[in-house]
Amino acid sequence: MDAVLIGLSNVFALESLIVLLIGTLAGMVIGALPGLSSTMGVALLIPITFSMSPESSLILLGAVYVSSVYGGSITAILLRTPGTDASIATSLDGYPLAEQGRGAEALGMATIASLVGGTISVIVLIAIAPPLARAALMFGPQEYTILAIFGMVTIVGVVSNNPLNGAIAALAGLFLASVGLDNFTGSQRYTFGSSSLFDGLPLLPALIGLFSISQAFVLCVPRSGGILKDDAASAEGRALPAWPDIRRCIRTMLKSSGIGALVGILPGAGTSIAAFISYDEARRSSKTPQTFGTGELEGVAASEAANNSVTGGTLIPTLTLGIPGNAVTAVFVGGLTIHGMVPGPRLFTDFADVTYTLFFSLFAANILFAVIGLLAGRWLVYVTRVPGSVLGPMIVVFSVIGTYALRNNMFDVGLAIAFGFIGFFMERWRYPAAPFVIALILGPILEVNFRRSMQISNWDLTTFFTRPLSLFLIALVIAAVAYPILKRRGATKRNS
Amino acid sequence: MKHAMKKAAAAALIGAGAMTLAGPTLAEYPEKPVKMIVAFGAGGSTDTMARIFAQYLGEELGQRFVVENRPGAGGEIGWISLANAAPDGYTIGLINAPAIEVYPITRPETIGYSLDDFRPLINVVTDPGVLAVAADSPYQTLDDLVAAAKENPGEITVSHEGVGGDDHLAALTFADEAGIELNFVSFSGNAEATAALLGGHIDAFEGNMSEVAAQVNDGAVRALAVWSDDRMPQIPDVPTGIEQGYDVISAASRGIAVPAGTPDEIYQTLLDASQEVVQNPEFLKELGNLNMPVTPIVGEDFEAFLDNSYESLKKVWEKDPWLEE
Repeated sequence: MDAVLIGLSNVFALESLIVLLIGTLAGMVIGALPGLSSTMGVALLIPITFSMSPESSLILLGAVYVSSVYGGSITAILLRTPGTDASIATSLDGYPLAEQGRGAEALGMATIASLVGGTISVIVLIAIAPPLARAALMFGPQEYTILAIFGMVTIVGVVSNNPLNGAIAALAGLFLASVGLDNFTGSQRYTFGSSSLFDGLPLLPALIGLFSISQAFVLCVPRSGGILKDDAASAEGRALPAWPDIRRCIRTMLKSSGIGALVGILPGAGTSIAAFISYDEARRSSKTPQTFGTGELEGVAASEAANNSVTGGTLIPTLTLGIPGNAVTAVFVGGLTIHGMVPGPRLFTDFADVTYTLFFSLFAANILFAVIGLLAGRWLVYVTRVPGSVLGPMIVVFSVIGTYALRNNMFDVGLAIAFGFIGFFMERWRYPAAPFVIALILGPILEVNFRRSMQISNWDLTTFFTRPLSLFLIALVIAAVAYPILKRRGATKRNS
Repeated sequence: MKHAMKKAAAAALIGAGAMTLAGPTLAEYPEKPVKMIVAFGAGGSTDTMARIFAQYLGEELGQRFVVENRPGAGGEIGWISLANAAPDGYTIGLINAPAIEVYPITRPETIGYSLDDFRPLINVVTDPGVLAVAADSPYQTLDDLVAAAKENPGEITVSHEGVGGDDHLAALTFADEAGIELNFVSFSGNAEATAALLGGHIDAFEGNMSEVAAQVNDGAVRALAVWSDDRMPQIPDVPTGIEQGYDVISAASRGIAVPAGTPDEIYQTLLDASQEVVQNPEFLKELGNLNMPVTPIVGEDFEAFLDNSYESLKKVWEKDPWLEE
């Protein structure tokens, strides 16, 4: 108990509050800019923390982590340029809202959902971290395989209005996901001898090209107007979503936060899986699923609650077992050990006061970014009024710099620009980008875990059906696929 | 700020000059920040070590050493840029053995650098291989595991971090030495592999000591053997393979190299400063916190060390290539 009180008082020390404010603002900017990922933000700050106290350095890293995930939603909504893969699902509904002059409202909903998701995941982290971390270990390669399939089911949802083009886009994504050095045999697949492709098609440059650069082309080409559609009443709209809208989304926010926290605990599952599954679940359980993709506040809420809830989740195996849940928390481990704090049970005994300082600072960072976001939202939306001929080139500049910064590799910049053209023509010819990207992200996770399962079981396919957890997940996948079909059938029966 | 840096630079130069009776080039080098290429991503174990080393080397030489991450292709991309950098002393880099030696052997047709492109400066860390099982595993010693593998050939699953990496080669050598057949399972990173080990999805884990030392000391993981000549102080209770009758030596090394053709005086300056760094107690303490064993191998000795391991890897490959086509 003492440790909890010490942790609480540490967060409210003046130095901590200053560090918290700097970290939150820096995180929001890092998250909003294309190419500057949470991982890079945390990694770049680690050398700065060498000379800081352990408490301050954890506050800084924690604040940057949670607020960078939130920051991604700002540009995803207003510009349709998601900073990272975590906010792709946010732009599906957020951007149409911005076009309709409801950008501020969408930002408000994203902020509230991020706050809810982030806070719930910190509560989960504090309350039940050690038992949950052990439960997460029950996930083996077999379960990750099914989880990746679960994420792919989302594709079915996002392509419902144009299934053929959606399927083609998804297959193209799957094909590109197979590029790279095969880690199981060491052979090269479609790399054409280029070492820049050995690790597979670099994901973030492809995403930046598909979303940000193609969006810049779209803005530059047809008309000189801004993002705001001409028939939109005003750019400002409401500054905050109306209370009935918020109340309507509470269930979705809570559910998405749960999904986010659970997926976050699984090492190697990734933030975007959580956002996709939550978005799909919200659409599935909605009374008006057809409004998703056209500017539905609930879609923004689902994605943002989920991706922010992942942050606390990923810290659970990191802190309790020393197994980082993703790239950001792997960097976190480095930041901890530099100060002599080895992740594991001792963090909750010997270093409990520092650990609780981190927990409370995560709370504080969530509240702080929400306050800043709600205050700034009114002004940020004016970006949608900026003429496309000004905005477009700016997006290209930021995208190119961000892409180069990822690995200091010019190949990636060329790739991003090429994907900018691909994205531009996909949109023109009505091939949706979302299934392409979902397949590109989940393809490798599915492949390696399936092959790993096969290695472990000596090519016995029944391994997926003899494990209780795997069976349970298969049942969930079947339910997710069957439910909308059954519901539609029920509806037509009633109508006839 | 600028003024303070100049002052610090002057002080360091006077100090360095007094120690080594420097020639005229030393008085000039380094007169601007030096780039240090790391062939792996920010935040990884190589990067963490590089950033700490860069900080101390910078203090020794009174100049900033700036880490630049050029990750990709298991290090090849970064090593290509180190190989092609101007040999003027303003670009140096981290090299990781055996990875840097494996690629020219296994993919000669696409490799973008040659080992002759580098002049090795100093080896900093040698992180020995470890074979580990979960705490609740029935195997207490290597012999237990070997006996089980003889009973069920190809059934015992062992993780590694990718075909042809040092973990895979160590596990292969061990299986060969013990005359057993193991079922190798490839993981994308040792964090995922550790999770699979603790969850009981694989039987054993092959990785580097710094990656599991914390879990070994916590009691969550039991290391059956460390593949080094002597026991490691970080995990003193873990016997070596040799102690148990299995002659396996394996480690991942992280050192510093400069592009071939870098002037001798500059090389010597860097070498002297690096030797100061690896004896600095503060530096040793920081790497100690990370469970990274500092094992300096200096200058020509480092060159000979790399030549030897390259030749032996080549022999293993020619005898029995570990990649399927």
